[in-house]
Amino acid sequence: MADFNVNLRGVGPVSVIDVKGYLDAHTAPELENVFNKLLDTKQFKVVVNFDDLKYISSAGLGVFMAYVETMRDNMGDIKFSNMKENVYNIFDLLGFPILYEFYKDENEAIKKFDIIG
Amino acid sequence: MKKQVKKAAQARGLENTILVSILLFLFNLIFPIHDSSILAVINEFLVFATVYFLYNYIYHFLHTKTDSPLSLILNAGILTALIFFIISILNAVLGSNNGNNEGLGFFNSLLSVFLTFVFISAIVYIFSTFRELFFLRQKKDPGIYFNTMLLFFAFSFFSNILTKFDSNLDYPHDAFYVVTIVLISINSIRVAWIAFIPKKQKYYLLLISIVLSILFGVTYSLVIQSNILRQTLYTFSPGLQSIFSLVMIYGTIYCGVIFFTTLFHLPTAEAFDRKVDEVSSMMDLTKLITRVFDFKELADTVTTMTTRVCNSDSAWLVTKIVGGIEVTSVHNVGYVVADEVSRTVLGSGENDYDSVEVIHYDLLRAEIKLNEQEFKSIAIAPLKVHGKIIGHLFAARQKENSYDIDERKAVQAFADYAAVALENAKLISESIEKERMEKELDVARDIQRKILPLNLPVSDNLAISALFVPAFEVGGDYYDFFELDDERLGFIVADVAGKGISAAFIMSEVKGIFKSLANMISNPRDLLIKANEVLKGSLDKRNFVTALFGVINKSTGKLNIARAGHTPLLHCSGEIMTRLQPAGIGLGLDYTSNFSNSLKEMEIQLKNNDIIICYSDGIPEAKNSSEEDFGYDRLESLILQNCDLKLDTISKNIMKELSVFTQDHSQHDDITLVLFKWIQKI
Repeated sequence: MADFNVNLRGVGPVSVIDVKGYLDAHTAPELENVFNKLLDTKQFKVVVNFDDLKYISSAGLGVFMAYVETMRDNMGDIKFSNMKENVYNIFDLLGFPILYEFYKDENEAIKKFDIIG
Repeated sequence: MKKQVKKAAQARGLENTILVSILLFLFNLIFPIHDSSILAVINEFLVFATVYFLYNYIYHFLHTKTDSPLSLILNAGILTALIFFIISILNAVLGSNNGNNEGLGFFNSLLSVFLTFVFISAIVYIFSTFRELFFLRQKKDPGIYFNTMLLFFAFSFFSNILTKFDSNLDYPHDAFYVVTIVLISINSIRVAWIAFIPKKQKYYLLLISIVLSILFGVTYSLVIQSNILRQTLYTFSPGLQSIFSLVMIYGTIYCGVIFFTTLFHLPTAEAFDRKVDEVSSMMDLTKLITRVFDFKELADTVTTMTTRVCNSDSAWLVTKIVGGIEVTSVHNVGYVVADEVSRTVLGSGENDYDSVEVIHYDLLRAEIKLNEQEFKSIAIAPLKVHGKIIGHLFAARQKENSYDIDERKAVQAFADYAAVALENAKLISESIEKERMEKELDVARDIQRKILPLNLPVSDNLAISALFVPAFEVGGDYYDFFELDDERLGFIVADVAGKGISAAFIMSEVKGIFKSLANMISNPRDLLIKANEVLKGSLDKRNFVTALFGVINKSTGKLNIARAGHTPLLHCSGEIMTRLQPAGIGLGLDYTSNFSNSLKEMEIQLKNNDIIICYSDGIPEAKNSSEEDFGYDRLESLILQNCDLKLDTISKNIMKELSVFTQDHSQHDDITLVLFKWIQKI
């Protein structure tokens, strides 16, 4: 079974989620738990750092789709950063760049939150 | 077969007995008084034969009733009492006219024969009872001791007749008599069965045995006293009188031994009972574990048995769950109390007991305030599976006395059983779940097979080949063709995100949507926009569908496509491969104007022998053992190498190459491959 690891850290008012390994139907619930925790503590500004992510399946993509609406309704967002090319291609093919913001660097994404809110 | 033989022998035994009895009866009718020694000896032999055959018959009969030794003894006791009663009455009635009984002749003889039969039956029955008890619960076969005793019984029987001829000849009989008594004493020690009867019955036995011992003793003294009965019996058959007194001695000694043995067994009776109860409870549990798969039911049985067998007032079972502990089953205690005590002892699951331990309530009392039940001592045993503690079994007493080592062991034994049961129940529910999932997979595969088109459209200038390989987990691939009108052929290749039965259901809905929309809308872009709107109501937040819709004009060779997040379409024209990836986001990702605004349509003019390749992401995302993707480049170059071949051969070669690439890596996703070749009519 492929490994997956998720880590949550706060950078100012923004929550940064580091995802690592393989995000698929089996490991997606781990990421969902993190998002649920964020909702519980009313933290809606999220940056997902994809630096160490090797693979994402449709179930993994579904996690972001499930939570993005709530985040945006509460003046927050889910932004993506540090994505490897192969992972980005999957997002790109599905048209995610039209709906989500992608950044090369995590700090860039965090800064975007500062400007708005 | 063996049973039948035995039965026949037994039936024969009864016949023999009756036959000899009749002979004896007739003999005594004909010769009421046998003075001559020949007659006396013949009579003696007849009596012996009667006794012998009756004994043979009765002990077989009694052998079937050894389950309750107490009732065997009781029956023997009743018989003895009856004999005692008869003897007493006879003494009272006939005792006065001691002198002239000789003259009564016929009547007297008849009476004595009748009495003899009663006595013979009684002593044979009593003796057989002793025999059964003797052999009861014996590990080794002690038959030789008993048979020796039988032999001396016979010697005593026959030697007594000598005294009739000459009163000086009493020493052989006396010698045999004494030896027999010694043998009786030796054989009376075999009372192993007493240990196995329950405590309550032991009290009864104690009472019965002392009463019977006295009764036998008194009857014995009546028989050896010089009175009318002894005289009648002796006159009739000296041997019978001899063994009658011997059986009475046997009874006295045996019942005495029983009395003392039971007395000595009484202190250990309770422990013995408990051990027996424990063993039988364990056996019941073992049976239950293999039959009952509901853990709750088993847990209830465990707590009930623990309470009973371990002399406790209450028992309860606590299992570990995620983030704490849970009281699974209680017996004789409220859930709240059990929960409170457990939490005080175990915390929220972090304080484990590695082996059974007893804690005294006084130590806990400061921490718990309970008003209904107060436990003085509590035994706690861990439920261990593969060395991991998965719960605890509690047994509690309201009395002051603590749990002794045996009781602790018993609590631990029950805890072990509960652990096995818990593990069993878990494994079974897991296998049921697995089975259910496999069933679900079958259903999903079935749906998928029915959704895909059976036949491909046939056309003069358009060759079509379609291939579908389902993955083990069943993805949500779908393709279809629609004859829009005489000229135009529409086609769809779609992929529902997710797997299993839910994906299969969405897929069937997608089919319905496209089938109906294709009747109304022939523009690919408009059709996808409409499909996205319709899907809004049926797709879950995290679900989406990628699709590629195309329309080929069969007379002009014009191809229009729109893509909603699906893998790019490949266009192979001569030596040139083009990836057609018009903008567009997946269906269900967005329901605002973003979707329609971003969706672009593309139009290309096909040339002779151009090949169009549609596929699902199962191909480029197929992985090899080092988690490397098959990728688009590999696919494109493979098609370029094969573009001169027939379509079916091309797809076959692609699949071959894919399987070489992935090797032993299992197919993760469905694979769909739809190829078109445009053949220009000149």
